[in-house]
Amino acid sequence: MTTLGRIEAEAGAAWRSFVRRRTAVFFTFGFPLILVAIFGAVVQTNPTGGGLFGHPTGFYVPGYLAIIVLFTPLSRIGSAIARHRDGNRFEKLATTPLARFEWLAGHALVNVGIILLASGIVLGALSLLGANVTLSPLLLPFVVLAVVVFCGLGALLGRIASSQDGVIAASNAVALPLVFLSETFVTPGMLPAWFRPAIGFSPLTYFARGVREATYLHQPAGPDLFVLATLAVVFFVLGSYAIPQDE
Amino acid sequence: MNPPKSCISAIVEPIVWISNATPIAPNPDDAREGDCNNHLGVVKIEPFTTTDVRGFPMVAAVTAESVSKGYGDTVALGSVSLFVDRGDIFALLGPNGAGKTTLVQTLTGTTEADSGTVSILGDAPEEVDKERIGHLPQSFTPPERLTARELLSYYAGLYENPRDVDDILADVGLMAVDDTWYANLSGGQQRRVCVGIALVNDPELLFLDEPTTGIDPAGRQSLWSLVRDLASDGTTIFLTTHYMKEAEELADHVALLDDGELVETGSPATLVDAFGGGAQLLVETTTPPTEIEALGLDVDTTETGVRIPDISPVDIGDVVEMLDARDIEYDSIVWSEPTLEDVYLRLTDEVAADDVATGRDLATVGGAQ
Repeated sequence: MTTLGRIEAEAGAAWRSFVRRRTAVFFTFGFPLILVAIFGAVVQTNPTGGGLFGHPTGFYVPGYLAIIVLFTPLSRIGSAIARHRDGNRFEKLATTPLARFEWLAGHALVNVGIILLASGIVLGALSLLGANVTLSPLLLPFVVLAVVVFCGLGALLGRIASSQDGVIAASNAVALPLVFLSETFVTPGMLPAWFRPAIGFSPLTYFARGVREATYLHQPAGPDLFVLATLAVVFFVLGSYAIPQDE
Repeated sequence: MNPPKSCISAIVEPIVWISNATPIAPNPDDAREGDCNNHLGVVKIEPFTTTDVRGFPMVAAVTAESVSKGYGDTVALGSVSLFVDRGDIFALLGPNGAGKTTLVQTLTGTTEADSGTVSILGDAPEEVDKERIGHLPQSFTPPERLTARELLSYYAGLYENPRDVDDILADVGLMAVDDTWYANLSGGQQRRVCVGIALVNDPELLFLDEPTTGIDPAGRQSLWSLVRDLASDGTTIFLTTHYMKEAEELADHVALLDDGELVETGSPATLVDAFGGGAQLLVETTTPPTEIEALGLDVDTTETGVRIPDISPVDIGDVVEMLDARDIEYDSIVWSEPTLEDVYLRLTDEVAADDVATGRDLATVGGAQ
C-alpha cells in the first residue's frame, strides 16, 4: 500500500467516525452559524458609527473564517489524539506501516473537508444577511494551509494534554487570544502600540490578512500565502513528531 | 540438500542466558533441541536449530537479551532474556503488573528498553518490516462507530497485501454481525474484532497481549482454535495471558514472569513435571487433620479441610474406604492433577491466587455423607 493509500484509509475511517457522531456534526456546523447569528444579525455592523464592528460585513469575513479554521482543527485533532491514547490505538498503529505524518495527513484531510463545508455555510449565511462577499480562488489555499497549521498545533496540544478535558482547555486557552490578536475582528489600530509587533507571531494573522486582501481589499495576497505555507510545513512536521507512538 | 548437523551447529552458536545476563556454558547432557528449560531463578534458554527449506538456519522469531525497563522508581522489567523459535506458540504468563505488557511493548518497539537488546525476525523492532508483524495491544479499542467490516477494511488498507476481509470475519466468527458498529457489539465480539485486526496482514509474527480477556468460554475456545490454526500455518505467536489454562492449552513454550523477572521457561509439560508436584486429593471436612494423619496419610491443612499430596487415581478408593472405616465425615473429595497454576504458585510463592483465573482439572469422587 502506498502512502496515499494509507492516508486514504486513515482519512476514510476518521470521516466515517466523525459523521456518525451526531453531536459533533451538529456543533461543528452549528458553531459558525451561531457566530454569524450573533455578530452578523444581532450585534450587526455599523460602518458609520464606529465601535467594535466599524467596518462593512465583508471586512469581517476573514474573522468568521478564522474562527472556524482555528477552533475546529485544534479541538478535533487534540480530541482525536486523546481518544487514540485512551484506546491504545497509537500503540497498535505504531506496529503498522502507517507513519505518523500519514496519520496527521489523513486527519488534516478530514478537517479540510469539514472546514470547507463550514466555510461554505458561513459565506452562504452572510450572503443571506446581505453581506457583500467576494469569492476568490485564493480562499481555497488559504483555508487548506490554515487548517494544516492548526492541525499541527492541535497535535502538539494533544501531545501535551493527557485527556480530552485537558485538550479542550488547552485549545481554548490558545485559540481565544489568537482570535482577538490576529487582525480578525480587532484591527491593529485598536491594540496598544507596544503589542502590535506580537501580531506577527500568530499564524492566524497571515490567514486573516491574506483572506482580507483577497476578498475585501483586492490586494495581492502572495506574501501572506507564502508565510502561511511555510508555517503549514513547520507545524505539520512538528505535529507529526508530536504524535505519540506508545499510547 | 540439508547441511550436516555439525554444520548447523557451527553456524548457529548455541545461546544460553541466565536471568542476570551472564552467559553460561551449555550443558550438552540436559540441553534438548527445541527445549527451553531452566532451574529456579536461572533462566537458561537453548535455541532451536531451525532450518529453512534449503537447510540453512533461520533467525529466531524473537530474542531479548538482558532487557530492563523502569518507570521512575518502579522496575517493570529486570534484565529479562528469552528466545522464541519460528512457528512456536510462546505464552508469557504472569499476574497483572508482572511486566508482560511492558515486555511486549519493548519487543514491538512501542517502548524503548532502558538496557539490553531486542530482535524480532532478525531485526531491531524499529527496523523490522511492519508488513511482517501483527499486534493486538492490551485494552485496545478501535474507532467505535465503525462496523466490524469497516474496521477490518480500515486496518487492511494500511498494508501492502492484506488478507480478504471476508476470510478474516469468518476466521473470528463475526460474519453475522459484520455490519454492526463496534460500539454495539458484545465484549467478546469486540475482542474478536480486535484479534481480526491483528490478522489483517497475515503476519509472520503475531503479538497477542491478553487476547481472550473478556471473552466468554465459547468465544475463548474459538479463538484458541484460530491460534492453533495460525501456528500450524507457520505463524509465530507470542501471547501474554494470566489464564494458566490458556497457556497450557495453546503454548509450545511458556515463560513465567513475576515482578518483572523471568522466573522460569519451558514447555508446559516440562514445567508441570519439574515443578508441579504430584496429584492431590482435597478433602472437605471438619474432622481435625490429626485424625486423618492417624490413618497413616500425609496431609496438609487447608481452609476447608485437608490436602493429601502425591496421590494417584487408583489410590482414591483406598482413601475413601479408610475414611469410611473410621466414620470420618466429609462434604466432598476432589482429586486434581498438577497444572501450570501449581507451577506458578510454587515458583512465585504466590499464595493469593486472585489474579489466576483458571482452575485445575477437577474430578469430584465423593459427595456429602
